[in-house]
Parts: sequence; structure tokens; C-alpha cells
Amino acid sequence: MSGAFLERPRWACSLGGALAAAGNLPETVPILHAGPGCAGNFAWANNGAAGLAVTGPCLGLSVPATNIQENEVIFGGLDRLREEILSTFKVMSGRLYFVLTGCLPEVIGDDVESLVTELATRETPHKSRLVMASVAGFKGDSFHGYEEVLKTLILKVIRPSSTKIHHLVNVWGLPPTLDPFWRGNIDGLAELLALLGVEANFFFGPRATHQALTQAGQASLNIVVSGLYGLAAAELFKQKHGTKFIQTPLPLGATASDRFLTRVGRALKIPASRVKKAIAEAGQRHYSYLEPIIDVFNDMEAQRHVLVIGDVNQALALNDFFAADLGWVPELTVITNELTVEDQARVRQYHLDMGGYPPERLIFQNQSHLIAQEAKAIWGETKGKYHNSRRPIFLAGSSLDRTLANELGATHLSLTYPIANRAILTRGYVGYAGGLRLTEDAVSALIAGR
Amino acid sequence: MSYLDSSVPPIRERRHPETALAHGATRCGQGPKRAVCAIMAQADRSFTQGSICPLLPALGIMTSLPETVVLLHGAVGCGACANGNNVNIRAGRAARGQPGQDALWLSTTLTEINVINGGEERLAEALVAADQAYHPKVILAVSGCLPGVIGDDLDAVAAQTQPRVQAKILPVHCEGFKSRFMATAYDVVYHAVGRGLLPDQSTGPKDPLAVNVMNVGSMGLVDEKELARLLGELGLKANFFPVFADPDSFELATRARVSISVCPTHDDYFLEHLREKFGVPYIIKHMPIGIKNTSQWLISLGQELGLAKEARALAKKEEAELERALAEFRPLFAGRTAFVSAGEYRSLATALLLRELGFKILAIRSFHIDSFAEVELAKLDQTGDFILNVANVQPFEEANLIKKLQPDIFLGHWHGNSTAARLGVPTQVIYNSGHAYIGYQGVYDLARRLHRRLSHPEFYARLGRYAHLPYRPGWYEEEAFSHIREAQS
Repeated sequence: MSGAFLERPRWACSLGGALAAAGNLPETVPILHAGPGCAGNFAWANNGAAGLAVTGPCLGLSVPATNIQENEVIFGGLDRLREEILSTFKVMSGRLYFVLTGCLPEVIGDDVESLVTELATRETPHKSRLVMASVAGFKGDSFHGYEEVLKTLILKVIRPSSTKIHHLVNVWGLPPTLDPFWRGNIDGLAELLALLGVEANFFFGPRATHQALTQAGQASLNIVVSGLYGLAAAELFKQKHGTKFIQTPLPLGATASDRFLTRVGRALKIPASRVKKAIAEAGQRHYSYLEPIIDVFNDMEAQRHVLVIGDVNQALALNDFFAADLGWVPELTVITNELTVEDQARVRQYHLDMGGYPPERLIFQNQSHLIAQEAKAIWGETKGKYHNSRRPIFLAGSSLDRTLANELGATHLSLTYPIANRAILTRGYVGYAGGLRLTEDAVSALIAGR
Repeated sequence: MSYLDSSVPPIRERRHPETALAHGATRCGQGPKRAVCAIMAQADRSFTQGSICPLLPALGIMTSLPETVVLLHGAVGCGACANGNNVNIRAGRAARGQPGQDALWLSTTLTEINVINGGEERLAEALVAADQAYHPKVILAVSGCLPGVIGDDLDAVAAQTQPRVQAKILPVHCEGFKSRFMATAYDVVYHAVGRGLLPDQSTGPKDPLAVNVMNVGSMGLVDEKELARLLGELGLKANFFPVFADPDSFELATRARVSISVCPTHDDYFLEHLREKFGVPYIIKHMPIGIKNTSQWLISLGQELGLAKEARALAKKEEAELERALAEFRPLFAGRTAFVSAGEYRSLATALLLRELGFKILAIRSFHIDSFAEVELAKLDQTGDFILNVANVQPFEEANLIKKLQPDIFLGHWHGNSTAARLGVPTQVIYNSGHAYIGYQGVYDLARRLHRRLSHPEFYARLGRYAHLPYRPGWYEEEAFSHIREAQS
């Protein structure tokens, strides 16, 4: 899929994904053992990519970092890291100190694990702990870093529990920042699960607490809302804590929410009648909000041909939302992740197995100029008087796809990473209410000049 | 021998060994000269927070060049900050009549295999492929940390690949771990530009009216227009380099009458080269931020060109006009306290400006301090005492100081401002391209924005009640500079 280079990458490296994850854990202080510019690099990346959400409680340029220099590259960076960790304990307040190693210490061979083990048992402040993840940039992308953080939580932070609480689940699969709507989407998932009387730990974001995180071993089910991210962590969780897991697509909108509730209900052995009732009530409420715009929605001929560009979670979930909820026509759906051929096949199959809507064309491509070629092959020259133009077009993608939208004459809405042109606070598209918000935003984009 | 004769530029540590990164003390009771000497170049910290390496500001300049591809040679996340740079590039291009154009950056996405086998082949392939895909005038091949530590020879790959590539390949050495000072960024970009985009010798006669004005990434078009206006009043023509300059236009720099720096710590590397090789003299003193500073900047240019009298008259007229315009703001500013944090020159010049507006300066934080600062520190020392903290951001020191000093307003940049804001202090961004800061117009516009902010600080008051900073309560009781120590290498 990828050529000799990657154009305007739509993710950062493993360290970037790990920092976005660890920095959004409750009462957590990440400590970077990395070169001097990594923290700034990610902060400025967020500036143009994360819906303006640059910092968290301990992110941006607040994150403790060894900022290692040539001296450490030559003589090793462990002394500097030891000093930094001990200083961090004195200055920064946290329950969890999370060392993340970047490219330089891993190339020069710093034995960070031994140091962290030593300091974790002897030096860590009262009621807190010190852990690490090895997330050099060359080891993978942001999704990899997110998963490595999950693995550390599972192995070192979450306490084993022999008793399981039936209506408690853990949910993951939305990487903070890479899903620019992750906070709102977590709210949407919590609301959905509450319809079945189920409580959830999400580990990351404003809803999470340190105590709930450490007690996540009590959950009776893990739910991975992704076709790809977090599956290895779910397997690890199962081995370590004996908790089974299910995998579901990110439930954007009503149709996907119906399916999500059905799957969760089945996995938790909640009576089918109760699940059905919850779905029916939610649907009633959903359409009571949608109905007032039907006059205009219908008469303006709002139905669109859709081009979706995004990562494996977002692209397929958006594809399904537009097709199943709005009845729009997915013409080209582009998954931008760097995937092996096997993973590509797995993702396709998973999408079909989950009842996803097959788009006219599904491709795996991460080079913007080649995505543009694919799109222009569909929406190129008008051929003759009677030409099925597959227009008007709606482009659901990142803010980097605005140029393509202009070239195609498409309406554009930034829905996938990177997003430079929206401020995202509580916005999320998961769940029934999320589907209404997505309808609001998509239709508002159509009528911006009204 | 010019620095540009060697393939790799020297780091700031070598070129300006006096450059300091960590310092904290009041300047009370110290003569200006002595005080500068008292700043230890070798100081460091036992606790540090994440910072910025030269790659970030260098990318800010490089991604602005039209018809240029920036190829980052590194792991996929290295240079992800280009997403943020792109916000400025889009705004800068829109201001220049080219809306909706993204910067173009690529990554060689080095992986574990490259760490073992080297990344040179991958770089060569990427150069050829990028040339074919985009047909740019220039490809900037930028080395991040990883190629630097695995030993890729950037210059050799560029030279070997050039015959297969139509675009001009310029290697840029930006390994973050090699310099503690982000100011090294300016040198590495100028090094690449100087070696790759300047002709071997001047291609035409000198233009007696042309002045090279060296802009900075943090200036917007609005600031360039103000300087062009002032030069125009003296009958001069401003050519701006390097930010947003077309690769083909750098040749003009060799034919200008004189070069003048806007930010002295920024430009000496390139201006010295233009003087040595093309006989273009330069002025590198004063930053045209603040009333007196702008006048001095203008007069120093006039003096160089035999227009001293005209420049003085212009400055006098401009100052008088500005003074009348500032009158409505002054009552609110009188005696208010300010805390300033930014790059070396920017912080010092802005502090002088604030004093001109009637503010009392409590503290100044500079990302670094080198010999270029002496002029501004001397000006500041004449008009009052303040705390000088040299820090490449390090918000833990800032938070500690703010709690103790409780300024009325904080002027800083990224994360400096958000730290102050979380403590409930109204903030004003000290540079952000697109807003006016430079020249007389810049003084007025900053005053206008400060007046607006101080008249309506409600957002910060509420934020301060609820926002969270990650420091232990005990940290605020400690001495702010307790983690500064002598460097251990």
C-alpha cells in the first residue's frame, strides 16, 4: 500500500499514541525518556490535528521529559532518567507515573525496564506506582503506542480480581486524540450501556478514575469498539484476568447502536425482551428529534453520494452511518491505516460479519495524492448528456481532504483525524444522540450557504 | 572558511558558547555587563519538562517555502508538528492570495528494519518518488534524531540521488539531540538555503534600493507590511527572506544594498555569509518591537544607507502619531504588572514595549540567552529590576513564579499561556503570525488587544477557579529555581 514515503501522515508514532493515551489516564504523569523535541512535536501536531485539544492535565510541554542530548546518546541515558524520575516524584502529583521510551534510548540500549523495576519497588511515593511502556517511534504508529499503554495497564496497574461484577464492563478501542471525538464518543458509549443498566470503565478521559482503573479486573466483560485496535490487549486481559471480550464496530448513530445493544445484551445474558424494549424506546426518542427537519431534509433532496476517508474505526463506522441511518450512498470508502494484506482481508470480513454496509468501493490507501486519483476515476469528466454522475458528493474525511473536496465540488466535513478546523469539546457521534449530532453537522454543512 | 563550506552546520553550543538555557535570579544590584556574565552557559536542570527541538521551528520555515516538498527522514511521528505548522502556512498563504493550500510534508517512516540496516536506501527511494509525484522545485531532505543515531549519511544520499531527481535536493541537519537550543533551527535552515539556493556569484548588479529584511516564522504578512511601509517612506524596497520566499527568489538576496535582521539571534549565520560572499553588509541589532526599538531599528538602517536624517524625522513623526493613538489605553495600563515569556529577543523587546505602555515588569522568561541579548538587557536594566528566568518553556518554574508574583497579565507562547491561564491570570499571546506586533502599528495593535483583555478578563477568572495543574501543592512552596544546577556533562 505505502510507497517510498508517506504523505502528510494521518497519525504519529508509537510514542505519540502512547503519550496521548497515558496523558489522558486519571491522575497520571507520563515521563518521556526521549529526545528533546518529542513533547513539543506532539503538542504542535495536536494543534493542527486534534480539534484544538492540545493539552490535558499533564500533557503538552508540562510532561516530564529527559530531553536527552548527545552526551546521553554516547554514554547512556539511565542516570539522567533516574534523576528525572526522582525529581518528578517531588514536583508532579500523580497516582500513576508512566515512563514512555522514545527512539533514542531504545537505539542506544538503555535498560529502562530494570531501572523502572528498581525505582518502582523502592522509591515510588506512597499510594502511587511507576510503570513503563516501550514505545520507540520506529516500532510502530500511534495505534501501536495506544495498545502498548493498554498492555501495561493490564499487566501492571489493573489488580486481579476473582469476583466479577455482572453489570460492569470495560470498554476500549478509541485511541485518545486519534479519534478526535473520543471524549464525546465515550460519553455516547456510557449512555448506550446505561440503557441496559450496564456500567463501564473507559480508563481514559474525564469519566475515568484511578480507583475504577485499578479495579477493572472486576468487570465481567471487555468490549473492544474497533475492528483492529485493542484486540491484542483484550487477549492479554483474558489471559491475565480471565475476562472474556466481544468486538463491535464503533456504534455511530441509531442502526449501529441497535446492533451494539443487542450484542452487549447477548454477551451479558441480559433478557432479550429488556434489550428490545430499550432499543424501541431509544428509537422513539431518536426519531422524535429527527422528525421536525424531515420536511426540509426531504424536499431539499439531501441524499448524497459519499466519499469517506479515515482510519479503520472511523471510516467503516461513518460508511455504515451514512448508508444505514441517512440512506446516503457510499461510493468510495478509504481506510488510511498502514495494514498488512492479511489485516486488510480481516477488516473487510469483519465489516461484513458485523452487518456493515459494503460500499461501492473499499480501498486501503494512505497517500492523499493517490486517494485523489481514485476519487477522480469515479468523479472525473462528465461523459455526454446522460451521465450517471454519482453526484452531489459528501466527503467525510480529515481537514487534509479539503483540497480534494474542492476539486470534486464535494461538501466537506472534518470527521476523521487530523482535524484542524473544528473545536471539539463534548462532541461525539456514538449512540442515538450522537447520530442526531452527526445528522445536524452533516446537514448543516450542506446548507452552510443557505 | 565560511561555515557553509562544510556539509553540516555547527550547533549553537559551538558557534555561541555563551548561550545559556537555565538561569533564574533577579537582576537587582548587578551592573548590566556583570549580570550577563553571571548567566552560566553550562547550567542545566535536575528536573525538566518536554520541550522543542530545532526541528519544530525549522519546519515552520521550511513548510512555508512555495513549490517545496519537505521530506522528513525519521520515524513516522517525527515532524508530526507539521500539522500545527500547516495552520500557519494555510493562513499565511491565504493572506498572500492563495487560500486553501496545505503545506506538503512527507515522511520516510523509518522502522525497526531501518534501525538495523540503515535508512539510506529508503531515503534515496523517497527522494526519487517524491520528485516524480509532485515535481517540486526543491526537496528539503530533513534528518530527525533516528538517522543521526543510526549513522545515515544524509549528504551522501542527497548527492548520489541528485542526478535522478529534477528538484534541487537540500539536506537539512536537524537531529534534535545534537543541540539544546532551538535557535539552532535557524542556522540549519539558513545553511541549507545558503548552500542550495544562492548562486555561486551575484547574477546581476546591486539594487541600490533593495533591503533584505530577514523575517521570522512568528511574523505574519501584517508585520511585513508594516516594515515595508516604513522602508517605503525612506524610498527603500523590502525583500523578505526566508519565510514564504519562493526558492527562486533567494538569488535576489545577493544583490541587495544591505540586509537587516528583525530578530538578532535568528540571522547572523546567513547575514554573515551574504556579507562575506556577496558583499552585502548587514545590521543585526534591535528588534522592531516597541516604540524606541522600532525607531532605533529604523535609524540604524538609515545610518547605514546615508539616510539617518530622514530616518530620524520619520521616527519622530511616527512616534508622535502613535503616542496620540495610545492615549485612550494608557490609563488602564498604568502600574499594572506583567510577566513575559518567549524567545530570547522577543521576550526582552516585548518587556521594553510593555514598560513604554506603563506596565511594571515582574519577570521575564527567555527560551535562551546569548550575547545578542546584551543590548536589550542593558536597556531593561536602566528602567527597573525584574526576575530573569532562562528556560526552554519549563512551565513548572513558571507556575511557581506566577503563584508568587500574581501578575495582572502574562504574555507568553504555547503552554506558557495555558499554564498562566489555568492559574487564573489573563494572557495575551506574545507572537502568533497574523496578528500585528512589529513596528509602530504592532505597538498600537498589541496595546489595543491588551486593553481589550484587561477590560474583559472574565474567562480567566473562572478558568482559574476550576482548572487543574499537575504540580504537587508543595512545589509552589519551593524556590522556583531549585532544580537549576550546573550541567553534568
